[in-house]
Amino acid sequence: MSAATRPQALQPAAATDPILVVRGLHKHFGGIKAANGVDLEVGRREIAGLIGPNGSGKSTLFSLVSGTVTPDKGEVRFDGRDIAGQSAYKVARLGLARTFQIPALFDNMTVTENLLAAAAEGHWAGARERAAETLALLRLEHVADNRASDLSGGQQKLLEFGRAVMRQAALILLDEVTAGVHPNIRKIILEAIAGLRERGVSFLIIEHDMEMVRNVCDRIIVMDSGRVVTSGRFEDIVRDSEVMQSYLGRPQ
Amino acid sequence: MKSRWLGLLLLGALLVVLVLLPLLVNNYWLRIATGALMWAGLACSWNMLGGYAGYINFGHSAFFGLGAYATALLMADPLGLPFTVTVLAGIAVTAACAVVIGAPTLRLRGAYFAIATWAFAEVLIQFATVMDFTGGIGGLSLPPFLNERFFYFAMLAAAVLTYLATWALFERSRFGLKVKALRDHEPAAEAMGINTALVKLQTFVLSAITASVFGAIFAYWVTFINPRSVFGGDITDQMVVMVLLGGLGTLWGPAIGGVALFVVNRLIWMYWGDTAFYIAILGAAIVLVVLFLPNGIAGLFARRRGGATVLDKTVEKLARAGGGDRN
Repeated sequence: MSAATRPQALQPAAATDPILVVRGLHKHFGGIKAANGVDLEVGRREIAGLIGPNGSGKSTLFSLVSGTVTPDKGEVRFDGRDIAGQSAYKVARLGLARTFQIPALFDNMTVTENLLAAAAEGHWAGARERAAETLALLRLEHVADNRASDLSGGQQKLLEFGRAVMRQAALILLDEVTAGVHPNIRKIILEAIAGLRERGVSFLIIEHDMEMVRNVCDRIIVMDSGRVVTSGRFEDIVRDSEVMQSYLGRPQ
Repeated sequence: MKSRWLGLLLLGALLVVLVLLPLLVNNYWLRIATGALMWAGLACSWNMLGGYAGYINFGHSAFFGLGAYATALLMADPLGLPFTVTVLAGIAVTAACAVVIGAPTLRLRGAYFAIATWAFAEVLIQFATVMDFTGGIGGLSLPPFLNERFFYFAMLAAAVLTYLATWALFERSRFGLKVKALRDHEPAAEAMGINTALVKLQTFVLSAITASVFGAIFAYWVTFINPRSVFGGDITDQMVVMVLLGGLGTLWGPAIGGVALFVVNRLIWMYWGDTAFYIAILGAAIVLVVLFLPNGIAGLFARRRGGATVLDKTVEKLARAGGGDRN
């Protein structure tokens, strides 16, 4: 890939400032404060884990950052640009990819077509080769020509992840991408995440599985009631009984 | 690979037969063949948006009629413009109208677009009925050109072009991937960088101008049009049923459904001299297809194991409330 076609966010000249900065982000749905002043950062090449009880605003934060939902107020800086309130397709073109909690596949298209569609806007050169690579990486070659809706639950999760990979993004938001999948498939995804990080990709990961959070994430960000409660290394967070109480709903 | 060569061979044979058809049949059957080609092309044009993008257009006859009226008005005295010019004028007017209707309504999901297109066709019927320059309810006459072979080959060329364009754009290109992606999951398509509002509008304009070309040829062919004969809702109804019967969102479905239903229509007319029975058949066909054959006739040949259908996605878009905030 030539420098000209490379997404700006992947330019080697990139500084050491965080890839994602969120400041004072608010979103109310009626009386529900889904985001109530969220502040967080994701560093370059960092794998940050986002944890918190159900309804704490994690998925809403993903929708706000990726442009699927417009924030009421607040700042979202991606790779130095203010993207708050921008439409989802523009944010995606800047180099931010996301997965959906419930797999949002293109059901009537084949697995290969799903991957190609992810690359159809902006990353088309070499897309067929990269789709083949992604199929191999995720061990989906044998179902390449199957329709997405014919896949098993685990395979759907893999494909959901694979589309984000095809975006050649600088930052990938993963929403419970390993929830409920077979350990073999989880291993494939974890290896792929590690490989992408080696190539300079940053991650923000929503995850309920503490084993996975401990093994993969450099840093944990804890959310509750629409705000970030704390962040830090896994070991430090677990020692903090207040956080665990908030997360597990009972004292440790 | 083997089936691919067989398919190409069949397609080649079909083209040879179609080109030689005027030598093989009399003018009566040639007219029926001309009509079948027109309906196959119209169904295909409706399927571009309805099947590939999942947006139901309940007023597609509006664009067929715009093409017909543009040609009728411009070919008749005092202008007397050549047919090729009037076809292009019809395309221009149609494209402009499609942008005006589609730009605001295709941004919203839900039934807004379906209602807007339906209303647009109704407005055009009323407009053409009350205005003087459109000939009112009596309609317009065109300079007669009674050459059945010309119209047969004109419809054949338009139909072949329509299917070639559909194949190239929707089955074999990035553009087609974007269109099908937004049909199957709009927020996910946006998250892949696809400007869904723009892609929908482009598809809608393409679908509309294709219908207008068939409308232009139709007007010149039958030499007489009136508001109901080119804007009528039954024209749209037939396209919808043809596509559903043949296979929504498939390349060949509209051709299969279009030819099959048109031939049934003509046979009923031949034996009963009346097509009221045909309307009942349309109604029954739509119910049976939706219940038992959601992938249409073309779906019978596809290798698939249940799961979501294109019809599911299309109905989902109709039923869903506006806004893009849901996963």
